[in-house]
Amino acid sequence: MSRLNKIEDIFLKIGSVDRRWIFIIIAIVVIVPILVPIGLPIRATDTSKKVYDAIEALPKGSNVLLSIEYSPSTKPENHPMTISIMRHLFRNNQKVYITCLWPDGQFMAQDALKQVAEGEFNKIYGEDYVLLGYRPGGEAVVKGIVSNIRKLFSVDARQTKVDDIPMMDGITNFKDFDFLFSASAGYPGTIEWVQYAADPTGVPMSSGVTSIQVNEVMPYVQSGQMVGVLAGMPGAAEYESLINQKGSATSGMDAQSVAHLVIVLFIVLGNISFFIERKRSKKY
Amino acid sequence: MFWKRQIPIFIVTVIGSITLFGWFIDQPNVKEFVGDDATQWFDVLASFAIILGALNLIKLQLQKVLYQKPGWLYSVVAVFGFVFAIIAGFFVKGVDDSVAQWGAHVTSDGTLFKWMFDYVFSPMSATMFSLLAFFVASASYRAFRIRNFEATLLLASGIIIMVGRVPIGGIISSWFIMYLIVLCLGIYVNSLKQDMKITFVFVAVGVSVVTIGGFITGWPIDQPGIFYLPSIQEWIYYYPNVAGARAIMIGIGLGIFATSIRYILGIERSYIGE
Repeated sequence: MSRLNKIEDIFLKIGSVDRRWIFIIIAIVVIVPILVPIGLPIRATDTSKKVYDAIEALPKGSNVLLSIEYSPSTKPENHPMTISIMRHLFRNNQKVYITCLWPDGQFMAQDALKQVAEGEFNKIYGEDYVLLGYRPGGEAVVKGIVSNIRKLFSVDARQTKVDDIPMMDGITNFKDFDFLFSASAGYPGTIEWVQYAADPTGVPMSSGVTSIQVNEVMPYVQSGQMVGVLAGMPGAAEYESLINQKGSATSGMDAQSVAHLVIVLFIVLGNISFFIERKRSKKY
Repeated sequence: MFWKRQIPIFIVTVIGSITLFGWFIDQPNVKEFVGDDATQWFDVLASFAIILGALNLIKLQLQKVLYQKPGWLYSVVAVFGFVFAIIAGFFVKGVDDSVAQWGAHVTSDGTLFKWMFDYVFSPMSATMFSLLAFFVASASYRAFRIRNFEATLLLASGIIIMVGRVPIGGIISSWFIMYLIVLCLGIYVNSLKQDMKITFVFVAVGVSVVTIGGFITGWPIDQPGIFYLPSIQEWIYYYPNVAGARAIMIGIGLGIFATSIRYILGIERSYIGE
């Protein structure tokens, strides 16, 4: 047997490796960079910079609506975005109003508020931020906020009457907000906010979405209906670098980088084995 | 039959027409109905739908358990989870009223419901989603094959997006990509001509051109941008991807419009079981 044939046999063996080996390798390449960070440099893309610039350009004391529509399953991607956006907003002394289109979103919002608003900035509930909570109905909730938010939210997530919350004075509908940021993992989410709220009213909005959602929201970014987008965990890491406060997204990028490289390596090896198989089947 | 057929169709036709034409009629009452009342109605109906959905879920799971259908043990877990959530949500708060009121207790620390969310729902939900990474790796290893031109295009863009989106893509020099392209083209030329001399000359010329170009320009990592992975992935996102996504969105939009018209005209009656 020639040396070339031996090499080809090795590739064929690799090509038919049990998938459990692939699972183990993926587990290792994800865990190791988390335990031993590489510290790869993070370059902010234009779409992330646009989000940062839009929030930075808001005058102090602007009313910003932050909508949370994700669950624990996409927490590693969406939550660092929410935390970074909150940090940026509170640092600039904006008033933050939080709504949730997903029931789990309320838990995520509460978690982020506890860490950022209470833990880092000592903000006062009802004066600097308010958690209005979750309402069922998807796009109907978005439309309700656009027409009359007080009809939809008579009490906040703490069961306090909205009329008794100081920062709700003068807030009746979506046009009373200066900016919207939607942290979204699917339906209902960013697209519904663009279609039923931001675009018809002209209130600027931006979004942070999971990587698989980027494809569907990109047309809105390109058309200018959305001001930039934070695309998946890389987008979250970019935002962390823009506000100069590293978090879980930055540490997750090393693991994601190595895992992506390994998957590409798998694809290359799989194709080499495929070509050898095809060549041999042609020969015989 | 009148109540089950004509009345629902009438309601759908009237409400559908008002909602549709409300966008074009400048009449305050119609506008208020479309922008305000209709959405309030929808919210109320959506709340009832949640109750109906929950009841339907428990009915199906209980049936599975009672008749011991395949996988009935999983249904036992589902029924247990359902009952536990009901108890934690409506009957056992776990804290005093001074800590959290009924309603607010759902997201308050120390309550049974919050405990369930933090220590049962969240880890399980995250686990399910995390498994995707393993399946994506395994599936791409087996299914991502260069079988034809379309598959090659898909594979190349997939790899560019995967590597270009993450920080490691930013440290891969565009010159390295150029060398890689020259080598890949060399393989292609070799398979086409089956002549080692031609292949050698092609690769040698290609490598020389890239090297000379590198020395002249000083090997900038992100130049020429056309070979820099983060730039290429951004271009893919902004142009081919947006073009495809827009086509799909326009198609979906037209489909929604056509279906809505069918509902308003009473042609589509699947909602009454026809």
